[in-house]
Amino acid sequence: MEVKILSAKFDIKDSHRIEVAKEHGAYSTLDKVFSMTPAEVIEEVKNSGLRGRGGAGFPTGIKWSFLPKDTGKPVYLTVNSDESEPGTFKDRYILVKDPHMLIEGIIICSYAIGSHDTYIYIRGEYTTQVKALQAAIDEAYAANYLGDTVDGNDFKLNVTVHRGAGAYICGEETALLESIEGRKGQPRSKPPFPAVAGLYSCPTIINNVQTIASLPFILNNGADAYKAYGTEKSSGTHLFGISGHVTKPGMYELPLGLPLLEVIEKVAGGIWKGRKLKAIIPGGSSTPVLLPDEAKTATLDYESMAEHKTMFGSGGIVVLDETVDIVELAKNLLDFYHHESCGQCTPCREGLGWMLKIVKKILRGNGSMDDVDLLRELCDNIEMKTVCVLSAACTMPIRSYLDKFRHEFEAYVTTEDSPAAEEKQE
Amino acid sequence: MADKIKLFVNEVEVEVEAGKNLIDAIGAVGIEIPHLCYHPALGADGNCRMCLVGIKDGRPPLVPACKTRAMEGMKVLLDAEHIKKIQHDVMEFELINHPIDCPVCDQAGECKLQDYYMSYDQQGSRMTVPQVTKGKKLDFGSGVIHDQERCVVCGRCVRFCRQITKTGELGAINRSDDTRINIFPGRPLNNRYALNVVDLCPVGAMTSSDFRFKQRVWFLKKAPDICHGCAKGCNITIDHNRQKYEDDIIYRFRPLFNEQVNGYFMCDEGRLSYKQENNGRLTEARTSNNPRSINEILAASTKEIERAEKIVIALSPNCSLEQMVTVKALSDKLGATLTGYSEGYIKQGDGDDYLIQDDKSANRAGLHLLKIDNSLNTFENAMQEADLLLNFNNELTLSFEKRELSRLLNDTKVIAVTSHDTPLTAMADMAIPVASYSEYAGSVVNSDNILQSFGKAITKNIDLDDISIIAAKLGSPLQTPAERFAALQQIISALNEFEPDKIPAEGLNLNNSEAANVTA
Repeated sequence: MEVKILSAKFDIKDSHRIEVAKEHGAYSTLDKVFSMTPAEVIEEVKNSGLRGRGGAGFPTGIKWSFLPKDTGKPVYLTVNSDESEPGTFKDRYILVKDPHMLIEGIIICSYAIGSHDTYIYIRGEYTTQVKALQAAIDEAYAANYLGDTVDGNDFKLNVTVHRGAGAYICGEETALLESIEGRKGQPRSKPPFPAVAGLYSCPTIINNVQTIASLPFILNNGADAYKAYGTEKSSGTHLFGISGHVTKPGMYELPLGLPLLEVIEKVAGGIWKGRKLKAIIPGGSSTPVLLPDEAKTATLDYESMAEHKTMFGSGGIVVLDETVDIVELAKNLLDFYHHESCGQCTPCREGLGWMLKIVKKILRGNGSMDDVDLLRELCDNIEMKTVCVLSAACTMPIRSYLDKFRHEFEAYVTTEDSPAAEEKQE
Repeated sequence: MADKIKLFVNEVEVEVEAGKNLIDAIGAVGIEIPHLCYHPALGADGNCRMCLVGIKDGRPPLVPACKTRAMEGMKVLLDAEHIKKIQHDVMEFELINHPIDCPVCDQAGECKLQDYYMSYDQQGSRMTVPQVTKGKKLDFGSGVIHDQERCVVCGRCVRFCRQITKTGELGAINRSDDTRINIFPGRPLNNRYALNVVDLCPVGAMTSSDFRFKQRVWFLKKAPDICHGCAKGCNITIDHNRQKYEDDIIYRFRPLFNEQVNGYFMCDEGRLSYKQENNGRLTEARTSNNPRSINEILAASTKEIERAEKIVIALSPNCSLEQMVTVKALSDKLGATLTGYSEGYIKQGDGDDYLIQDDKSANRAGLHLLKIDNSLNTFENAMQEADLLLNFNNELTLSFEKRELSRLLNDTKVIAVTSHDTPLTAMADMAIPVASYSEYAGSVVNSDNILQSFGKAITKNIDLDDISIIAAKLGSPLQTPAERFAALQQIISALNEFEPDKIPAEGLNLNNSEAANVTA
C-alpha cells in the first residue's frame, strides 16, 4: 500500500545533504520550471489537484491565483512548518530527511507567484529539524539555488528561517504572520485574507511544508502522474502519521483514498495486544472521532471524511483501543486547547477554561448531569464565535466525544463505583 | 454632508452614513450594537465578540459589526434569536471569571458589563467551578489602579498607549483565561495622558486613584465645560455634587468628545485641574487683608477709581471674551491703560504635538482679537506713573519675581478682582472675590482659533459675580449680557450669525473669518 513519492529519498543515507540529494534528482526540475511561464506553473499545479496539506485541504493552485496583480508591493511566500497539531508528525520527516525537496518546492512556488522572499516559520521545539533545514538552506545558497540568480536564472530568491517559541496558535496562518512580524501570536480577523494583505500587509501565500514539498514531483512528472494517485477530488499521496494503540505506529506515505481500517490493519499492524478498536481520531486532535462502525466505510480522503462528519485534517491518525477512557481523553484535549488559546476572543478565552474545569469536576466524581449538558451546550456557544478556528478545533472533537460516548460521561456522575469514585478515595 | 445609504436593521429600513462600520453607522440613528473592545478613536479589534450580528443572505452570515462596513441594502439582524443568544453567551463568558463585586467597585453605575447584563443577559450564573484569580489593586503609575479580575481584556488601554501616546507601557501578557493586562516590571505608565485609560476601560478594571471611592457616580451631576488648563480648550464634562449641608464640589473632569478640538481625550494635568476650582478660592472681600462685605469694597473701589489719575487695568488671559470686552469698555471709559501682559502663563517647551500647549491660559487668542496690549514695555511704563492698578485675575506673580513685583507696584494702590486667594491677593490693598470659570458662562478662543462657549456648571453656596458683572458695577458701559454680546459681534464677525447662547457646541473656527484680525 505504501508509495514513495515524497518519501523517495527518506531511506537513503545522508539524503539531507545536497550532493546526495542531487544524485537522486533534487533540483532537476528547475530547468523545466524556468522554461515555463509562471502562469503555466500555476496551471500545472491546479491541474494536479494538489490540496493544502496543513489540514484545511484548500486547492493550492486556486489559492495562488487569489494573489492580486500588480499591487506594487512585494509578494511573500511563507512556509508553515509549525506542525503542532497533536497526533501529527509528517513535516518533521521532510525537514530532516529531505530538506532540499522543500527548498526546490519553494523555488517552484516562488517563481510561480512572483515572490523573492520566503519565510519558513518553524516550530520552536523542532531543534534538530531547524538545524537540518538551515544547513540545507546554506548548502542551497552555496550551490546557487538560492540567492540573486537562482540556478543561473534571472530570478532572485532569499529564504529566511523564523523559529516560533512554542505556541500552537502560531500554526494558524495569520497568528504565524503576527509572530514573524514580532508581535504576540494572535490570529487576525479575516478579511483581509493573507493573499491580499498578509505579511507586512503585503500579498502573501502561506503553504504547509508537505504542500510545497509535493511540487517538485508534480512539475517533474506532470499533473497527470500526480493524479494517478488518490481519488478524483483528493489526488496524490500524503504522509500519514499513525499513532496510538497500533502494533506498528509510524509515518507512512500512502495514496489518498485507501480504506481507513485496512490501512490500520495492513500498514500499522492492527490494534496492539489483541485488543478491540474503540475509536479513531482521523486527522489530528481537532478532528471529530470515528466509531469502529463509522470507520468501516471511511476512506482516507477529504470527501469521505466530510461524509462521515469529520475531517481529513493533517493525516495524523490516532487509534484508540478499548481501554481508553473518553472522559480522560476529553480532559487531556481540553487541557491542551485551554493552554493554547491565545486569549484574544472572549468565548475561547473564558470558555475553554470553564469546560476544562467542568470535565475535571466530572472526573473527580463531583459532576452532575447538568454539568454534562452544560459541557455539550458550551461546545455550541463557543464554536465559530471567534476570530480563528482554534475554539472549533477544540469543541468539534469534544462534541463528538459527548455525542458518541455520552454514557461514559454519565457513568462518572451516576454510578457509585465509577472510576472517579475510586479516585476520590485515594 | 456625508453620503447616505439605506440598509435594513431587523427588517426595518434605516438611512445611515456611508463609509462607517455598522456600530457607528447604526449607532448614529439610535440603534445600539453592544460592544466592549471597539472604540472609535482606537479602531476595531474584534476580540470581545459582543458585536456579532447576523447578515441575512450574507457570506459569512455572522460578522463582527465593528469590522463590517455598512453597505447599501445590507440586511442586519440584531434581534434574531440566534444573535440574542450569542450576546447572552458572550456576556456569560465575560462574567464567569468576573468577581461581580459591583457593590465595592468604583465603576458601578457607568459599567458596560452592568448595562449589558441588564440589556442582554439577565441570567443566573451557571458557574459551579472555581474562578480564575488574578492581581488586584495593581498600581500602574500615573494614578491608574488596575484590577485584573474585573478586566475583560478588550485591550483598549493597550491600544491607547500604542496608538495615541505611542508610549506602549501596557501589554496583554499570558494566554487563555490567564491573559491579563500588565505593565513591564519597573516600567509604570509614564505619559501625560495616562488617565484616559480609566475612561476608556468599559469596566471597573482601570480606576483613578484620585477619584476612586470619593463619590458614587450616580450622585454626580454632569455639566459640559471647557478646560482652562491650557490654550487647547479641551471639552470636558464636569462631574460635581452638592452633598446635603455642603457646598457644590467638583469630583472630576472627564474629556468630552469634540472632533475639531480634543477628540475623545484630554491630558492628565487638565483633568486634575478641577482641584483648583474647589480649593484656594477667595470667597470674601478684603481690605488690607481684613474681611469686609463685597458691597463695601465695591464702594471703596469706586472711590479709588474716581480719585486715581493714572489707572492701569490688567486682565487675565483666562478671562472670557465677554469679560474682556466689558473690562475693555471700562478701561476706555476711564482712559486707563489696559494690559494683558501675562508672560508667566506660558511654559516654554512644555507643550507637545498632541493636546498640551505651552500657553497655560485659555483665551490668549481672545486678547489678540480684542487688540489688548500684551507687551511688558507698555505694562512697566504705565506702572511707573500709575497710582492705581485694577487687576482682573491676572496672576502677576507668575510673570514677576515677588521682589521685582513689589518694586513695580511701589506705592501704587492695588485692587485685585480675583477668583483665588493668591500671593498677589495678599499684596493687594483691596480684594474682590469673583467666580471662576466653572461658575460662569462665557466664550474663549483656543490656540487653533476655535471659539468655544460654555455654560455655568457650578453654583456655589456663595454665588459670586463673575468679572464682567464686577466690571459693570465698577462703571463699565456694557451693563447687560446682550450689550456685551453685541460688542463682541462688532469685533468677531463670525458671531453675527448667532444668537447669544446659541453658539454651536463644536465651536466656531475663526481661521477663515477672523484670520486677518489675529496678530498672534
